[in-house]
Amino acid sequence: MSRSIMDLRPRSGRWGRGRTAAWLATAAATLALAAPAAAQEQPTWPTLPPNFAISGARIVPVSGPVIERGTIVVREGVIAAVGANVSVPADAWVIDGAGLTVYPGLIDAFTTLGHPERRGAQPAAGGPGGGFGAGGMAAASGRSHSWGPEDRPGTFTWRTAADGLDAGDDRITRWREAGFTTALSTLSEGIFPGQASLINLGDGRSRALVVEPYVAQRINLRDRSYSGYPGALLGSFAYIKQLYFDAQHYHQVWTAYERDPRGKTRPEYDPTLEPLRTPKPVLFPATDRKEIVRAIKTAGEMGVPVIIYGGQRAYEAVDVLSASRAPILIDLNWPKPNRDGDPEAEYDLATLRSWEHSPSTPAKLHQAGVRFAFYTGGLRTPSEARAAVRAAIEAGLPADAALRAMTLGAAEILGVANRMGSIEVGKIANLVIADGDLFAEGTKIRKVIVDGRPFDVFEPSSRTPARRVSAGEGQGARGGQGGEARQGDARTEDKAAPVAMAQDRGPYRDDPVTLIRNATILTVTNGVIEGGDVLIRNGKIAAVGRGLDAPRNATVVDAAGMYVTPGIIDAHSHIAADAINEGSVAVSAMTGMKDVIDPNAIAIYRALAGGVTTINLLHGSANPIGGRNAVLKLRWGADADGLIFEGAPEGIKFALGENTKRDRNPPRYPNSRMGVQDVIRQAFIEAQQYMKEWEDYEQRRRRDKNAIPPRRDLKLETLAQILRGERLVHAHSYRSDEILQLMRVAEEFGFRLATLQHVLEGYKVADEIAAHGAGASTFSDWWAYKVEAYDAIPYNAALMTERGVVVSINSDDAEEMRHLNQEAAKTMKWGGLSETEALKLVTLNPAIQLRIQDRVGSIEVGKDADLVVWKGHPLSMEGVPQKVYIDGKLYFDIELDRERQAAIRAEKEALMRKHLPGRGGDTRVVTEAAAGAVSDQEVER
Amino acid sequence: MRALRSSILGAAALLLGAAAAASAQETLAIRGGTVHPVTGPSYVGTVVIQGGRIVAAGPNATVPAGARVIDATGLHVYPGLFDAGSQLGLTEIGQVAVTNDMRELGSFNPHLQARTAVHPASEHIPVTRANGITHTLSLPSGGGSGGFPGQGSAFHLAGWTIEEMDILPSAVMVMNWPTIRTRTFGFGFGFGFGGAGGERSFREAMEEYERAVHQLESWLDAARDYDRAVRGGARIPRDLRLEALARVTRGEMPVLARVETARDIRNVVEFAEKQGLKLIVAGAAEGYQVADLLAEKGIPVILGPTQALPLGTDRPYDERFTNPGKLHAAGVKIAFATFNSAYSRSLPYEAAQAIPFGLPREEALRAVTINAAEMLGIGDKLGSIEVGKIANLIVTDGDPLEITTQIRHLIINGQETDMRNRHLDLYEKYRSRPARTATE
Repeated sequence: MSRSIMDLRPRSGRWGRGRTAAWLATAAATLALAAPAAAQEQPTWPTLPPNFAISGARIVPVSGPVIERGTIVVREGVIAAVGANVSVPADAWVIDGAGLTVYPGLIDAFTTLGHPERRGAQPAAGGPGGGFGAGGMAAASGRSHSWGPEDRPGTFTWRTAADGLDAGDDRITRWREAGFTTALSTLSEGIFPGQASLINLGDGRSRALVVEPYVAQRINLRDRSYSGYPGALLGSFAYIKQLYFDAQHYHQVWTAYERDPRGKTRPEYDPTLEPLRTPKPVLFPATDRKEIVRAIKTAGEMGVPVIIYGGQRAYEAVDVLSASRAPILIDLNWPKPNRDGDPEAEYDLATLRSWEHSPSTPAKLHQAGVRFAFYTGGLRTPSEARAAVRAAIEAGLPADAALRAMTLGAAEILGVANRMGSIEVGKIANLVIADGDLFAEGTKIRKVIVDGRPFDVFEPSSRTPARRVSAGEGQGARGGQGGEARQGDARTEDKAAPVAMAQDRGPYRDDPVTLIRNATILTVTNGVIEGGDVLIRNGKIAAVGRGLDAPRNATVVDAAGMYVTPGIIDAHSHIAADAINEGSVAVSAMTGMKDVIDPNAIAIYRALAGGVTTINLLHGSANPIGGRNAVLKLRWGADADGLIFEGAPEGIKFALGENTKRDRNPPRYPNSRMGVQDVIRQAFIEAQQYMKEWEDYEQRRRRDKNAIPPRRDLKLETLAQILRGERLVHAHSYRSDEILQLMRVAEEFGFRLATLQHVLEGYKVADEIAAHGAGASTFSDWWAYKVEAYDAIPYNAALMTERGVVVSINSDDAEEMRHLNQEAAKTMKWGGLSETEALKLVTLNPAIQLRIQDRVGSIEVGKDADLVVWKGHPLSMEGVPQKVYIDGKLYFDIELDRERQAAIRAEKEALMRKHLPGRGGDTRVVTEAAAGAVSDQEVER
Repeated sequence: MRALRSSILGAAALLLGAAAAASAQETLAIRGGTVHPVTGPSYVGTVVIQGGRIVAAGPNATVPAGARVIDATGLHVYPGLFDAGSQLGLTEIGQVAVTNDMRELGSFNPHLQARTAVHPASEHIPVTRANGITHTLSLPSGGGSGGFPGQGSAFHLAGWTIEEMDILPSAVMVMNWPTIRTRTFGFGFGFGFGGAGGERSFREAMEEYERAVHQLESWLDAARDYDRAVRGGARIPRDLRLEALARVTRGEMPVLARVETARDIRNVVEFAEKQGLKLIVAGAAEGYQVADLLAEKGIPVILGPTQALPLGTDRPYDERFTNPGKLHAAGVKIAFATFNSAYSRSLPYEAAQAIPFGLPREEALRAVTINAAEMLGIGDKLGSIEVGKIANLIVTDGDPLEITTQIRHLIINGQETDMRNRHLDLYEKYRSRPARTATE
């Protein structure tokens, strides 16, 4: 790329000398664009010549060994010579480097510099977080409303940060004075705000600053520059993938057209797809392990290289990053407690850990060979950057690796290592001159050289290091408030070994062979075995019966007086997800819960403690056709992929009635049950068309190897799977009329509904449901929360069962799911189901509904060892899970839970002492927690 | 007139009224069941009911001539269950605003009474009583953080009019206690943006809290001044709000504050002590953390819901399940409530959930019968099977706290009450729908 460092404004004639005519074309353009009205600027700093040398300095080239005393010659903005024995050319000015150290200029790897419209608001550091607030997306004035991916919401892929760069952004000076000579400049508004550009932080015209205009496409997962679709994280993931699929198709079509336009329909020109024909890496936000896993997976699906930004909790994801080889940009604003926070606030473990461990992220990544760079991100001022890096060094990052991350490492990730990042002959003369070690406390930056132009660094004498209390930094020297002794202690502790992480997740035991003995076994399919045994081997049920011999290597569990049931299956759940509803559109089949699984959700563990082992994670009910589901096993501690019930058929959420037809702003079709049905029928007609396009293509391809496939449409692809019987429909429904109508639509299009969900009036049309062959998954006794729930009766499950429907009881709720056994028991009271029939409602029947009954749902040899050991009969209020197994692994144990709780409490207390040392009487909260622990023991049964 | 009468005569007059309404009833004898008086040991015996009251109860109580006899052989007789905090009668369909009457505009409405808006024909009432809940304390809500949304009313879950149902029209004064909140709204953790979103400073939060507390103080001070002036014969215009609050400052009516966290409980306890209020703490999810304080001050707690999630991510999964047992062990008097309407019938399970987690079964039963009556000062009239008490009884085939137990007979205010309800009716109607064959 052109790397103009020339500027023809009068004040900067200094740059003009020695320039060749090769630059004149640019110069003419510059003149044409010169700002009209402003007064001619006059110099405010002395003009230095373009050729100079720094002599007698300590040189840290990064790309090679340190030169203890050497000279660097800069000519025309480029490093002309470096070494211990380099002579100073006759035409060069000499800067005396005695006592100084020269480093390559620092690179801030992710900023919005040059785009001061967002001044004050730092770029959003990584982290997609949760979905949008439900109500937040109403059409606001001035924002365009998006009704689907075709509207290209918040998509400005053609923009580059290099265009419209404001060289007058006064942040540039502050960044430079902090030692940064280069920054990745990004636009910030939009899902795809535009292409990030690398700029040098000089003071020339904006285009003179640009080093590389096309570095990467930035992605934001949350954006408010538009209203409508995507309105939640679910849609964001679907949308960014669709855009790249569209781009691939666009490229195919255009390439073919360009090769030979004759006889071909001229393709549409799409400015949003045009730049993606030659894809650059994407800058993908991700803070913690969950998000990093998602970022890597999604970029893989999109078929583009990924650079992650955010990354503060990447200490959780070192293995993932190492395996994927994805580079990561780390926000230097290490999480720390709020200064004026609530003195009694209870911080969750993940937050406390981020205070403790975030600064160790770089060290851990370095050790694992992961490529990383830093950015100032959420820091209040760029001058805090070095202190933040120092914290990383104190947490174990070698100083040379820290320097590399801020120079050559960053240049490599951003694709400009051939031009900058180290002090080498031929590279851009971006240098930092400091009076000592760059990361040592008290070191001052004396000069910064950008594109061969030296800048003095002005530092007001009154400036005291503006530093906030942070991990690894200890307290400021002044202290003085009450509790100083404590603070002193805390400081010592700060430097001490980090607080070890308690094991707060994962199975308690993973025994190859377990024998559960002497229990009452409720097999569900083969009656009740009193005094029975269950043998678990390699995750499967190996034997069920009385008096089984314990294999030599077996772990034996004496369950005398206890009950064993299959693990509970919740056929309708919304736990463990970061978004539920993509409610902006009537058909959101392009979205999928697998994109937004939250393996950190504590609800997983709490559900385990209630005996739940499998859930049907469903999209919300805002749309007649919703998003794709995810069937999960609650393997607490696994990543998203590890939670997925391998081999479980795919499904999708449908919804009818009030939630789908409710008034919205702007109005959204449907607004009546008539329209709801219509939306579904229209969607399937469209899907049939789509299927035909693909069938035609397959035909064509047989004749023509170069035939271009149709555009891949995530929505229609999903609907086509339903029509082919490859995807199970789980339809949220209330009233009998809408239940009936949906079954008829399904029959019209030749498929069968897998389940009707909620189906509170199912009892009114039980025969019709049975005849259609849908399962029914209902609540035990909820009613009257809305009109369509006013005819709900607790006899629903029993009555439908009587009429031959396969019925399950679900929770739809993180609390209710903890006692689905009780909810099942209610059908014995209301409608008189037998014990086995009742238990089936939360075990075998939901398994049948999800088509996983050959794996789970009953205690039979060969099935997965997903088991619950209960104290007290599970169909009574006395039943309490004692042990819960998934695949034979012990994921919950009521005794070991107490130990884990104590370990978590101890870790939290240690972290609070360390990071909230000034907290007046902070022991009180801790004491309360400890008091809880004591009482726990008292209550033990 | 009613306000004046109830303020002068108080609860006693209305209780008499309730009894009078039942005076025309037959004499009823429940014979041969295991009687669980709750206040004493169980026995096999007879309970005789006349004029709305229990007139005889014991192993050897005789059936009076002419009495209608319910044969309870093999069955159990318990006091009817008391949902000590609900919205019964005040709402029909939550999402349909016009059916909701539990919230009024404004934060300071101490003169409003729940009973005024109780819809005796609400479908929720028969549904609830069919599971053994015979009476409730229905609570108004609404208003801001810090305020008096109105008075809770206790009534029977049977009757043609609220006047027949009344137990205590002015049972409690509901007080919204302000919470110190630094988190205004949240997108989860602070991803960038230099800190967590939706956080404000503790100082700001404290300022708002202190203002709200001061406002409550001002109302109570004004009520005292008003009361003194009226009793001193000053000719000042009548103020319904202050008149109602004066019953609180005089200690005639307890204040019920729904607070969940330990800090809020500590704060409201301190406030009530300073103001000389009779306090009932409701909710109290973190009650176990301040159990000793509550026990020491003798402050009763109406718990609920128990089947609820822990208040913090890292809390023990069973934090809410163990809370009742811990409070009881510390010597705190507890009752249970659903704070709901459609869900009120699940009251027994809110109590039963705590039993495997440390609450003695007998105490769980007291906590849904006699304890709340005692908290409201009517423990001598309701809540146990004792001679002279209002006859709210259930005849069951087992422990009423157990899901599979069936209620066989329901006696409310001395009258055997219909078990029919919307759910049963719909069930029977559609159960009798002729079968359709698959070929149709």
